[in-house]
Amino acid sequence: MSSASQSRSLWMAAAGVPLLLIALAAVQAKIDAETRAFSQENDQLLLHSGAAVRRLSLGYDALAADIYWTRAVQYYGGHVGSHNSDFGQLWPLLDIATTLDPKLIAAYHFGAIFLSEPPPGGSGRADLAVQLVRRGMAADPENYFLVNDLGFVYYWYLRDYPAAANAYLEGSKIRNAPAWLKIMAALVAQRGGSLDTSRMIWTEIYNSAQDETVRERALVTLRGLRALSDEQLLDQLAQQYKSRFGRFPASAGELREAGLIRGNPADPAGYPYVFGSDGKTRLDPQSPVRIPQGLQLPGEQSP
Amino acid sequence: MSASVGPVAVNTFREAVRDRVLYNLVLFALLMIGAAILVGQISIGIEQLVIVNLGLSAISLFGLVMSIFIGVGLVYKEIEKRTLYSLLAKPIHRWQFLVGKYAGLLLTLAVNTAFMTLGLAAAFFYVGGRFEHANLSILIAIYFILLEFALVTALALFFSCFSTPMLSTLFTLAIYVTGVFAPDIRSISEFTNNSMLLAVTRALYFLIPNFHDFNVIAVAGHGEPIPFSLVWQNTLYAGLYVALLLVAASAVFSRRNLK
Repeated sequence: MSSASQSRSLWMAAAGVPLLLIALAAVQAKIDAETRAFSQENDQLLLHSGAAVRRLSLGYDALAADIYWTRAVQYYGGHVGSHNSDFGQLWPLLDIATTLDPKLIAAYHFGAIFLSEPPPGGSGRADLAVQLVRRGMAADPENYFLVNDLGFVYYWYLRDYPAAANAYLEGSKIRNAPAWLKIMAALVAQRGGSLDTSRMIWTEIYNSAQDETVRERALVTLRGLRALSDEQLLDQLAQQYKSRFGRFPASAGELREAGLIRGNPADPAGYPYVFGSDGKTRLDPQSPVRIPQGLQLPGEQSP
Repeated sequence: MSASVGPVAVNTFREAVRDRVLYNLVLFALLMIGAAILVGQISIGIEQLVIVNLGLSAISLFGLVMSIFIGVGLVYKEIEKRTLYSLLAKPIHRWQFLVGKYAGLLLTLAVNTAFMTLGLAAAFFYVGGRFEHANLSILIAIYFILLEFALVTALALFFSCFSTPMLSTLFTLAIYVTGVFAPDIRSISEFTNNSMLLAVTRALYFLIPNFHDFNVIAVAGHGEPIPFSLVWQNTLYAGLYVALLLVAASAVFSRRNLK
């Protein structure tokens, strides 16, 4: 080949390769737009039996378990927040992952939360979460973290305080279990659903969680609990104000002027509380803080 | 004996080292181990676990591919290239040739496994793993994988003494897969009332190499201890089975008409 011909080939390649790459990217984008509609529907599992997947994995079941767990995480991440999803594949994915590797603690620990959270934060199936965690406890009876998870599901999602107390008590009997599990068992048994018990549980989750998502979730709930506690206190002060002035305060300023509070009470996000004409304090609609729902507060004392 | 086996083993190792396919396989396995770091990022709570599981699986899978595909060609290539004739003209027995070939491939696999282990260790330490006493199980798992390679290579070599590479590959793979399901074969024998089936499944269970017992990847991943008794029992089992296969292969090969 002559040098002129070689040079021509080089120039053609230099110009042609980028052009072809651009054309390829354009075609790929077109294909992506075309296939997006049906790829979203492509959630179904070909195999629903963990035992079958175990056999097909030819001894690489530990790796297959990690893959199924990662699929469960991705599935949950792809559906969380969506009001149209029933999280239908979440349980089969968790079931397969934990059948393949019965000691995959992460799948029990986080899977229980994924299953328990009410829609659209999860599948709202705390009953399955109990089943999942109990399976983990059978596979790893020395793991008190799982018993703690079980207690938490009973306490927070199912509001079954006697069952939660039993679970914490069961956990406290495990070798090397921390002392706070016994305290938790007593607290839940005596004052199930109380604000201080809930705060203790979530504080423990915040302190012990290694995963950032869980810590964030615990922090959000703790902020909500603090707001709830503030609201209870302000409601009491509003009652005192009414007994003195015959009406409920319209703002924090009136409570301040009456000498009942100092400063301007604000929620954990910094938004001032709103005083209703019924004497109830509420969060500012703009505030990102959310009060946890469904807590029973029998004879709750002011914090 | 070693004076004859040694040079054959060294030459087999040299020949394998020159094969670029091996490097590609090792590179691919290392890439897979590296990919475990990414898998850990898109999952929750299994950052170190997935490195160990994927790393050990990659070492096992690629090593098995090497064992089978190189193992079945060990004898066949020498016959096809007619290098065997010049070799056997020297004062070397056929069984020595076989054992030398086997030892050479095993050495190659051990060196490759060592490289892949270094890759696994690098990925493990990269995600913040620390070498603790519990991680000793990972090294034992790698040793068991090596024992598995020793058995598979002996199987491949045995079949290659009387069959074509294609058929030898199929036979070796079939026995490997059956060996992985050894506990299932045993459980059939426990649940049947049919005396004939009971005898067949029992015989099959003891005849087929039990590859299931070499798989401790999940145990190593969770950092659980592996009893020392299992280490020596597996070593003895692999040693006996390899000896059996090499003796059988030597018997077949010594009677083979090479004309």
